[in-house]
Amino acid sequence: MKTLKNLIYLLIVFLFISSCSSEDESLPNFDCPEIEANIGDPCENSNGVEGTISEDCECIDDQASLGDYENGILVTNEGPFQNGTGTITYISDDYTTIEQQVFNQVNSADLGSIVQSIGFNDEVAYLVVNNSNKIEVVNRYSFESIVSITDGLMNPRYFISSGTNGYVTNWGDPFDNTDDYIAVIDLFSNTITSTIPVAFGPEKLILINNVLYVAHQGGYGQNNILSVIDTSNNTLASTIEVGDVPNSMVVLDNNLWVLCGGNPDYTGNETNGKLLKIDVSNNSVVQVFDFLTSDHPKHLSADGSHLIYNLNGVVYSKDEADISLPQESIISGTFYAMTTKDGKLYATDAGDFASNGTLKIVDLSTNSEIQSIQTGIIPGGVYFND
Amino acid sequence: MKGLYLFIASFICSASLYAQLDSIQYLNEVVLVDSKLEEFSEGYTLTKISDTLISRNPVSLSDLLNFNSNIYIKENGYGMIASPSYRGTNASQTAVIWNGIPINSNLTGQTDFNTIATASLTNVMIRSGGGSSQYGSGAVGGSIHLNNTIEFTENSSNELTIYYGSYASVGGIFKRKMATKKKYLDMAVDFISSDNDYEYVGLNRKNNNGEFNKLNISMNGGLRLNNSSLIWNSNYFSGVRNLSSTITTFNKDSYKDETFRNLLTWNSTSKKWNNIIKGAHIFERYQYYPNRENVLYFEGKSNTIIGDYQLEYNINEKITVSSILNLTHIKAEGTNIGNESRNTLAAIFIWKQLVSDQLSYNINIRQEFLNDFENPLIVSIDTKYKINQWYSLKANASNNYRVPTFNDLYWNNGGNVDLKPEISYQGTISNEFYFKYFLFNMNLFYINSKDLISWQPDMNGIFSPINISETENIGFEMAAKFSKSIQTNMFNLGINYAYTSAKNIETGKQLMYVPVHKVTGTIDYRIQRFNAYYQQFFNGKVFTTTDNSTDLDSYLVANIGVDYFFSYKTMPIKIGFKINNIFNTYYENVAYRPMPNRNIQTTITFKF
Repeated sequence: MKTLKNLIYLLIVFLFISSCSSEDESLPNFDCPEIEANIGDPCENSNGVEGTISEDCECIDDQASLGDYENGILVTNEGPFQNGTGTITYISDDYTTIEQQVFNQVNSADLGSIVQSIGFNDEVAYLVVNNSNKIEVVNRYSFESIVSITDGLMNPRYFISSGTNGYVTNWGDPFDNTDDYIAVIDLFSNTITSTIPVAFGPEKLILINNVLYVAHQGGYGQNNILSVIDTSNNTLASTIEVGDVPNSMVVLDNNLWVLCGGNPDYTGNETNGKLLKIDVSNNSVVQVFDFLTSDHPKHLSADGSHLIYNLNGVVYSKDEADISLPQESIISGTFYAMTTKDGKLYATDAGDFASNGTLKIVDLSTNSEIQSIQTGIIPGGVYFND
Repeated sequence: MKGLYLFIASFICSASLYAQLDSIQYLNEVVLVDSKLEEFSEGYTLTKISDTLISRNPVSLSDLLNFNSNIYIKENGYGMIASPSYRGTNASQTAVIWNGIPINSNLTGQTDFNTIATASLTNVMIRSGGGSSQYGSGAVGGSIHLNNTIEFTENSSNELTIYYGSYASVGGIFKRKMATKKKYLDMAVDFISSDNDYEYVGLNRKNNNGEFNKLNISMNGGLRLNNSSLIWNSNYFSGVRNLSSTITTFNKDSYKDETFRNLLTWNSTSKKWNNIIKGAHIFERYQYYPNRENVLYFEGKSNTIIGDYQLEYNINEKITVSSILNLTHIKAEGTNIGNESRNTLAAIFIWKQLVSDQLSYNINIRQEFLNDFENPLIVSIDTKYKINQWYSLKANASNNYRVPTFNDLYWNNGGNVDLKPEISYQGTISNEFYFKYFLFNMNLFYINSKDLISWQPDMNGIFSPINISETENIGFEMAAKFSKSIQTNMFNLGINYAYTSAKNIETGKQLMYVPVHKVTGTIDYRIQRFNAYYQQFFNGKVFTTTDNSTDLDSYLVANIGVDYFFSYKTMPIKIGFKINNIFNTYYENVAYRPMPNRNIQTTITFKF
């Protein structure tokens, strides 16, 4: 008798629930039904602050910081060559907050030997540590470590992401010119899923319309090509012959500009630097600017329609439309790394390579220095964390 | 039993920490090949490390000097490439002198202290201060003398030591000596191998890729004729090392060293005249394997031929003059330097005068010719004033130099053929006190170095050496030794302290890897058949960057050991047991390269 009573009770409950669910179908379908709102909707939180609905269905303050290291400049410091750790310097956009050894402080650990570069994907930063043969994966705003990728890397250099994959240039054994490769990283699992063998000395990467261009600077030696990789099937599509020692690339108006340093004097086969313009629709070299044989330019970047580079102790700016190389420099200095953003030049000086370096920030409208900020040892890269 | 006590006595008597040079009598029976080391530089402090102390740190010269001198040793992990900083000078400014012949590498300008096998040496002497006028390039901070003496006394002995220690360290030393009043021959073979995989204290990690083995063969021979002697010294070293990883890397590289040195000395004396003719050949080679699993390597080697003629004349009982002509031919080749050579002719003049029983002085002048450098005139003046039985005052002043190495000049890429020698000016004042049980000395030194060679990047980012920096080193050194025996008990205490301010004049910053304070101490106690000892060194904080923004903490490392002497039938035997780093101190003397944790070393020595 008691069993029957329970069964009837259960039946009543079931009917009640099913009647509720039939009612829901008639309401709008919210991402977050409990608060009747969709992800991304404007909202107001309990404190009366305006915000946005997050993926976790919470009303997040629009002004809330994503982490301590949002809205600032990140400088990679290689660290002492033989015995030490590289570091990251953070400088806030208003230059008021400067923090050294960001990774090391947040994670209470050494970042590793020779911090070569950083690549980004959404809110994740990939810190490429050359001599320690690893990539430290961190949240780019908090710098909290997510994972360390160690398997499958050998002398990793630069990282770029495309869709769900990351691509990392690797020298392999630097004294073996036949084992260089691009490691393909699955960004969900942070593991290396395949490798693409390439010619020796792959260095910087640039992505244009899902096509990956890899500059073969040539490792400890010299090379003179770009590899073109189709990211839809992760295969080497073609190579483009450029000048000797392609060291930097920039995209301007759908053209790829490549700066080649030329072979240095000590090789016994010194060649001139070159600035090349490549039409990416057919990957053909459409324009070549030759430097003098003894000139070996570096660090190409773009400011508006201007191409900026460092040569012979000064910095030059060339309008992309100019038909010859500029004769007048804009500022002086020999820099270890140099890049531009929003009308400013960011250039590093590694000093004697055995002490803290500096980052100089120059306003390109007046060509005057606006900041000089101490970094870590051997500052080799400048990145923007916006 | 008599043999046993002689054996013990030979260990104990030679255990003195500092040479009491005043008491050294020149017996014809004992010939120090490098006679000028003691003869023409009384105004310099000379510290002797005896063979007993050598036997306590048998693995390397680095260990020996860490515990027994003021020299800071930069060791890239235990047993790895090690270079000195003496009185705050750089690694190429301490000359290593083997039986009077400079042996710093022509390629690097330095001697790797872990490639010097010490077991076959009679003693190691440390000469403080500039010695370029006598020993040439590199003797700026001081010079380290590796000596083999020849003894024309009836003797025939064999000694075998077997070494076993932590990290699968195994070694053996065999020494054979045969001598009559006319002939002398000794031979020593010294081998050690170690996995060197020590724990990094507190880091839960072991030293990786640190395996090494070393073989050294040494032979010394002498013939004594009526008024002359012919002496031959020979040493072969071969070492294979993997190069230890750092805390942040996993290395796979490996390094091979080989050196072979031969020296023939003809010494002929008369009442007034003394002729010394020397001929030497030195071969050095390194091979660097970036990946020990591959066949690719980078190599450098050099051959040096030295001819040296010294003529000494005693003008009277008080005045001796000496002149030396030295021709050095160096031929070097390597993967990165091609084929290069250099000839140097050096003319040296020495004036020695005993002004009175108390006061003596020496003047040394050196001028070099033939090579392509601006050769400065090198002068050294030193004096000793014996104020009374227990107190002497010494002073010396000199200028010194260091020539650029073949790597500095010709390295591809970056070598700079326009380099000048590094120059330094310096002075030292020493006070020495001698009491019955107690020896004490205090030195004050000043060194100003100019045109120091530094590798810096040029406009194209290529590193190249230039004569750029200037440094000023001011320091204070103190050494004390106490020694007393009561019946069968014998007690020895030795302490060294050095204060070194070494600054780059342009920046005012302390130089990298120069501790402001270094202290060493040894206590030695013998009772009957036991000999217990304690050795320690303290290195103060050192900076690891030129702007002094990073540093290594100070640390104290101590060893404790005991030797037991007994005889089996008539064979004297010594058993030694030693604990290194008893406090299990974590320490680095080069950043990110931890040194060993607590470890054990055992030896057994048979004499027959």
